[in-house]
Amino acid sequence: MKTRIDSVEEITRSFAGQGYICSEQIALAIYLAAQLHKPVLVEGPPGVGKTELAKAAAAFLEAPLIRLQCYEGLDESRALYEWKYGKQLLYTQLLRDKLGGMLADTDSLEASMERLGDLGEAFYSDTFLEPRPLLHALRSDEPAVLLIDEIDKADQEFEAFLLELLSDFQISIPELGTVKAKHQPLVLLTSNDQRELSDALKRRCLHLYIPYPAAELEAQIVATRVPDLDARLREQLVAFIQHLREQDMKKLPAISETLDWARALVLLHADSLEHAQVADTLNLVLKTEQDVTLARELLPAWLRKLGKR
Amino acid sequence: MPTRRLSEFVQALRGAGLRISPDEASQAMDAAALVGYARRQRFHDALAVTLVKQQQDRLAFEETFARFFEAEDSRSDSPQQSDSSMPQPAGDLSSAQTAEQQQAEALLASTPEQLQQQMAEAAAEMDFTQMEVITQQGLYTRRLLMNMGMGAVDDRVLQLDQGTPREQARAEQLRQWRTRVREQAAGQVRRQFLLHGVGKGRALREQTLRAVPFRDLREFRDVQTLVRKMARRLASLHQRRTKTSRRGMLDARRTMVASIRHDGVPAKLFWRRRPPRKTRVMVICDVSSSVSDAARFLLQFLYAMNDVLPRVRSFAFASRFDEITDDFARYSPEVAVGQVLDRLSGSGTDYAEMFRAFQARCERELDAHTTVIILGDARNNYLPDGAETLQAIRRRVKQVWWLNPESRGRWNSGDAVMDRYLPHCRLARQCATLNDLERVVDSLLGALD
Repeated sequence: MKTRIDSVEEITRSFAGQGYICSEQIALAIYLAAQLHKPVLVEGPPGVGKTELAKAAAAFLEAPLIRLQCYEGLDESRALYEWKYGKQLLYTQLLRDKLGGMLADTDSLEASMERLGDLGEAFYSDTFLEPRPLLHALRSDEPAVLLIDEIDKADQEFEAFLLELLSDFQISIPELGTVKAKHQPLVLLTSNDQRELSDALKRRCLHLYIPYPAAELEAQIVATRVPDLDARLREQLVAFIQHLREQDMKKLPAISETLDWARALVLLHADSLEHAQVADTLNLVLKTEQDVTLARELLPAWLRKLGKR
Repeated sequence: MPTRRLSEFVQALRGAGLRISPDEASQAMDAAALVGYARRQRFHDALAVTLVKQQQDRLAFEETFARFFEAEDSRSDSPQQSDSSMPQPAGDLSSAQTAEQQQAEALLASTPEQLQQQMAEAAAEMDFTQMEVITQQGLYTRRLLMNMGMGAVDDRVLQLDQGTPREQARAEQLRQWRTRVREQAAGQVRRQFLLHGVGKGRALREQTLRAVPFRDLREFRDVQTLVRKMARRLASLHQRRTKTSRRGMLDARRTMVASIRHDGVPAKLFWRRRPPRKTRVMVICDVSSSVSDAARFLLQFLYAMNDVLPRVRSFAFASRFDEITDDFARYSPEVAVGQVLDRLSGSGTDYAEMFRAFQARCERELDAHTTVIILGDARNNYLPDGAETLQAIRRRVKQVWWLNPESRGRWNSGDAVMDRYLPHCRLARQCATLNDLERVVDSLLGALD
């Protein structure tokens, strides 16, 4: 992992090199997170590149990305570690005879118990430990980027469970004691604001809100990701998407959808939004029938207005 | 920028309603030290990343930042502007005899820049963060002037007043000078109040708003914000409760199946999850003039809690009875309430008629998961009370609650017939202030689980 980050600009440049164009706030948040060793809570509407940010950060820091996808009912055994019960049972079965032999020369119950007691540790050792993403991140030999995706989908209890990890980069496992991070990972949490996160969690994190990008930034993103798109069409497309976001839509189009649409227009060899097929591709941008109908009505009027200008 | 300024800024943010822990404040200082102060935008972003933890607080942060650091800028610029604004020196050292007099004359003799400097130093020694209400400004101004050593000047003026006509003229001159300095100091204090006191005042005001009867509340502008804030707090509180209470019994079947893998050892336990609750809330609001204020806030509160109370149907009645759920589905609570009041308000409530209309419309949907909340003063204009219809409704639903905006002592006075309805209500409460309302909704959510 890169240990020295010289400036915020360095991050912006590196991200741009990877095709992740971002505003200065985003780069600054990553810079501060890496320098202050604090987790970042990234919020924003779906599709603005929250998960992408983690990937870009991992690539920039030359660190492995460990991802934990949250969902309702996610618990410690899925997120942190689990004992390999099957393997433990198998071993006891196979070792039964050996155990019998070992205990043969003890004369009392207490003596056998004592001898077994020494063995007990062996069954709760690393051999039988199945590490899950969080433990992976803590025990990783090089500092990692840990992405805890969609934390708002997990239960409240899981959020509370994360607190120890987020503030001290350590986790308590009853059988093993406290596991401290070998190297502090850079932790990114993302949330779609499906429910309010607890104050305790927010307090431990830096907070980054990624809004829909401004027209200029979006044009830059499209230019980087879909270089084949004609410049004039790009301007038109971005302006129209921005216009759509001001409407009362059920689901507003995000950057990922802008990019999909741009790619589709390249495939169709469209050179402007007046193109006959453009209206048919609107369902790439908008995901409900109502929104598509509304956008179909809007498009000609908007093009007329554009023509006048 | 010294740490002190930053912690004052944090103080000001807290006043503006943000919740900032000491840990976050120290993070902000680390971050600020890291990015430096030279580039304003970056400094601003670094503070935002560390201090603003929810989007709702963003606006308050921007406003406070602008106000706080604008004041900062003007303070560092001020030596250039001050020549005209600061009182001209009026020193006359020759006539001073005692040490006190000399101190006064020294102050009088100082240049506008020095005076500005002295005022800033005196202000820096004071703790403005305790200012709470605007009327404290006078007190703080006086303290600031005393800190600058203006007490000596006051004595000097008194002393000169006793003297020769020439000295009296000089006293008059000093008095004018003193007035101008006082104005400067008052300005300084007002700026500080804007930063610190406004927030403290807001907390105080919030407390008052919560205890004021609904009918007086409509005058206040920020009451909407308060209602939303209270609702949000309650919602997040109960969200947690629903999650934890959903855990059910051991799921023996799944546990057994999973244990086969481990030779019959139930290594992993599975639990039944209780099915999500199907509770339904139906609210009937009296919107006649005497009660409409309470109805307005009850409805706003309930609809602000959409997250935890998704299935609310609401009805309103005064002279007519109608369902108003759609108004709330289509418009924001504030707008919807206004519309409903315009459409239905009037006088002459008939509770018996309302019960019949409600029963006719909703009887089929009433079931053991339904809670009916009635908000009204039970003033029936001496008409038949219709308690038997309420009883019939009560038999079909989980519970009926009655909220009455009047105090308990008046529940049966005049044409009010509350005691006819009480036997059919599981709970009847007075609901006249936001505090009452919060308590009611809190216990409602508890009763629904």
